[in-house]
Amino acid sequence: MQSWFLKSPAQRPLFAVLVSALFVLALCCLLSLLFGAGGLTPQASLQTLFGNGSPDDEFTVFHLRSTRTLIGLFVGLTLGIAGALMQAVARNPLAEPGLLGVSAGSSFAVAMALVMGASTATLTVGIAQLGALIGCICVLGAARMQGQHNDPIRLVLAGAALSSLLLAMTSLILLFDQRAADEIRFWVTGSVAGRDTHTLMSVLPSMLVAAACVLYTAKPLASLALGERVAIGLGHKPRRIRGIIIIAVALLVGGATAIAGPVAFIGLVVPFAARALVGPDIRRTLWLCLPLGPIIVISADIISRLVAQPTEMPLGVLTAIVGAPVLLLIVRSRRLPTL
Amino acid sequence: MINQSLSMPDTPTSNTSPNGYRLVSIGQHAQILIEKEAIVRNTWLLLVLFFASIITLGSGTMAISPKEVVDVLLGQGDTMNQFVVKDLRLPRLLAAIYTGAAFSLAGCLMQTMARNRLATPGIIGIDNAAMAFAVSSIVGMSVSLAPSFMALAGAATATALAFGLAGGSGTRGYRFIVAGIGIGAIAGAVTQLLLSQVSIDVANSAYPWTVGSLSARDPFMVNTLSIGIAICVIGCLLFSRQFALLPFSDQVITGLGANIKHIRILALILCITLTGLAVAVAGPVGLVALVGPEIARVLSRYRGIPLISSALTGALVMMLSDLFGRTVLSPIELPVGIVTAVIGGPYLIWILVRRSSRSSL
Amino acid sequence: MTATAFKQKPNTFSASLSADKLSLKHGKISIIDQLNVTLPEGQVTAIVGPNGCGKSTLLNGLSRVHTPSSGVVMLDGKDIHSLPSKEVARRLALLPQDTLAPDGITIEELIRFGRHPHQSLLRQWAMDDQEAIKYALQAADLEGLKDRLLDTLSGGQRQRAWIAMSIAQETPLLLLDEPTSALDLGHQIEVFELIRNLSRQGKTLAMVVHDLPSACRYSDHIIAMKEGEILTQGSPKDIMTKELVRELYGVDCDLMPDPMTGSPILINIRRLKS
Repeated sequence: MQSWFLKSPAQRPLFAVLVSALFVLALCCLLSLLFGAGGLTPQASLQTLFGNGSPDDEFTVFHLRSTRTLIGLFVGLTLGIAGALMQAVARNPLAEPGLLGVSAGSSFAVAMALVMGASTATLTVGIAQLGALIGCICVLGAARMQGQHNDPIRLVLAGAALSSLLLAMTSLILLFDQRAADEIRFWVTGSVAGRDTHTLMSVLPSMLVAAACVLYTAKPLASLALGERVAIGLGHKPRRIRGIIIIAVALLVGGATAIAGPVAFIGLVVPFAARALVGPDIRRTLWLCLPLGPIIVISADIISRLVAQPTEMPLGVLTAIVGAPVLLLIVRSRRLPTL
Repeated sequence: MINQSLSMPDTPTSNTSPNGYRLVSIGQHAQILIEKEAIVRNTWLLLVLFFASIITLGSGTMAISPKEVVDVLLGQGDTMNQFVVKDLRLPRLLAAIYTGAAFSLAGCLMQTMARNRLATPGIIGIDNAAMAFAVSSIVGMSVSLAPSFMALAGAATATALAFGLAGGSGTRGYRFIVAGIGIGAIAGAVTQLLLSQVSIDVANSAYPWTVGSLSARDPFMVNTLSIGIAICVIGCLLFSRQFALLPFSDQVITGLGANIKHIRILALILCITLTGLAVAVAGPVGLVALVGPEIARVLSRYRGIPLISSALTGALVMMLSDLFGRTVLSPIELPVGIVTAVIGGPYLIWILVRRSSRSSL
Repeated sequence: MTATAFKQKPNTFSASLSADKLSLKHGKISIIDQLNVTLPEGQVTAIVGPNGCGKSTLLNGLSRVHTPSSGVVMLDGKDIHSLPSKEVARRLALLPQDTLAPDGITIEELIRFGRHPHQSLLRQWAMDDQEAIKYALQAADLEGLKDRLLDTLSGGQRQRAWIAMSIAQETPLLLLDEPTSALDLGHQIEVFELIRNLSRQGKTLAMVVHDLPSACRYSDHIIAMKEGEILTQGSPKDIMTKELVRELYGVDCDLMPDPMTGSPILINIRRLKS
């Protein structure tokens, strides 16, 4: 029936794969509204969706769960795209905001802001994005300067080192402020529960900027994948492209982190899956990352609600458990430096 | 051009040692080379360590002069000083020296093995796993073993998992590193999960295990660590010739008749034993593993791998960091892990950012 | 100024190396299948062939760096994998392509590593170590450079330093994987002449070489490989033909003897007309 699926990834029609992915995404969203911890059964949720529920049920489905789904959608979208962009810029399939310390930079900045007494959502978002930017520049700059982009492992090590440093710094600040420590304890786990749409709204403008950056750079990025010199030969300006991408990644990761806390590995798993489905061309994978990110985050969120009932398993823990094996898988496939 | 008229060199009349080495002959069958520079360097380091120890023992809320400290150590001095120095400060000082030496030695070994200055046990996630196990024991989520034992178990588990998942040593063991980073990430996430599930008081009591601290350490673990370090140092000395081959490529090592797999496994076992025991005493203070060997490398021109010097510099860094943490904001005590992070941090960023031809080890 | 100027090292013994039905694989891909080969003793053997024909793999297989999937490599009549690695290293030295050295190492220190198979924990420095290093420095003409850092040398000097390390190993057999790749003409000649000199002392040498004329000029025996198999082998003058060149590299050419040395050189190389 779906004979296109048997073709090699790079030959599959993008449109068909994309439509199927969107269909799966819609299904995930529906399931996310239907299932959850607490007493509400899926049947009752379904009835509520059709308008026959009690006010309590309506609150659960339309307020709690829909917000949560929306935030999952957003986080998946941003982190998936950020991962794909970062991998393209670093030319390294292991480049991932969480592993490379970008999320940690963001957490550090947020902790800093909390200690300084920040509370308004906008401020936190801006600060998280700034932290992400600094983390991004540190790790990619280090990788480029030492010519490490040929060695994926070194980049990951640099990222791990940077992360551990930033985490220690975060602990340091929290040592001085009990209130912030208490507040951030839940936040650093990475979760899409209990966040409100208000934060989401405050992130939107910067997301539009990021989207514009991505649209502007998608084409040059594809030629950058062939190597810096080739890109220059084709008339692009690699430095500028890279700069714009780094800003976009910082905006995306900072936004996602401000909302959901540091959620690792999404940026690794999503582009990996996208490449497996439609081949390595960045213009194709970016499109597919759009639905794949939310699919993975929302399904991980559904599972996290179900496995540890009545409590919940934070999303960040689950993605780490899912993502680490993918990391190994990538390393084990011997074609490492070929991105 | 190549000398066409080669002849055998005149047979030397005496066995002169190579530049910079002293030859120690014991009978006919044992000729051992000792690096002069290393002896001098390590003697200096030991002296510095000794004097710093005296000062450390004298500093704190109750200041004691170096002379009095020496008196106490020689078995004299008044009872109060005896109590403060011997019962309060000395165990902590020893814990600092042992853990610093262990972390740093393990770091130096792993950096050499992976040929990357960033590849220390802490950074590839072993500390994290140990921390997750220790925290799980404190928050009562697992069998009620003492956290130090759990930390040890955690380090062992993480390494075994990473090794198993990497499927053997592989080329340069890089899969092992990535597997370790992955496991470290999971362990970190689990720790956060555990901490977010319990009351703030329990979370606070687990706090030292998440940052690394030397206050009120398990004396049994400290003793175990001291024995472990002694064994590992002897191991390093016995196998230093093999470890010196590690910076070469695999083919060269094999060509020289050494078994690369055995050398690597041995180095790994030493690394894990040291890291596991040290984390069991002090929690994750992994940055010492990065800073200690680096100082040792600055102090020594290349002649093999500065394992012993790394241990000494690590001990020194740890001791001074703890002293700093204890005194600078007194009476608030900064955990040593945070102090080393603050010291190691700028240095780490410097490694990451500077332009260097010595990008690899 | 001839080979007689060399005094034979007393502990140099001859050694034979051969492969019997040797199969080597990279993962699941078979590179070499059921290959039989013997290195002629006391001669320089050049292994030539197009890229990816398994030259380096064969060399790694012969030097026990690459474990065979079946078949055996015989060193002096014994399976090389059954001998202790150190024992093998006293008879066979390998200079791989990928020569990575510690930072800040001097020439002499590098050469000293060549003594590793002769040393042990209790026997770290003996008279023969000292002699061997002195000899290696002299043979590779590096005496004046012995305290220089390896990183500061030219490509040819560095390669000579690595060869000197193998010389210090005092093995009757020496295998070199593309010892002249990435060297300019002058440095290539330096290395090739050093190899010839070593052969005059009775060492058995084998090297992977890309440049066919150099292989002809500096070797006594050529093994021509393609797709993991030996097409032909023998002395350069006997086996070097237009047909062989065509079969190896898919190019047409003419051969003529070098007016000075008599070794075959390739002229008028052109693409094969189909």
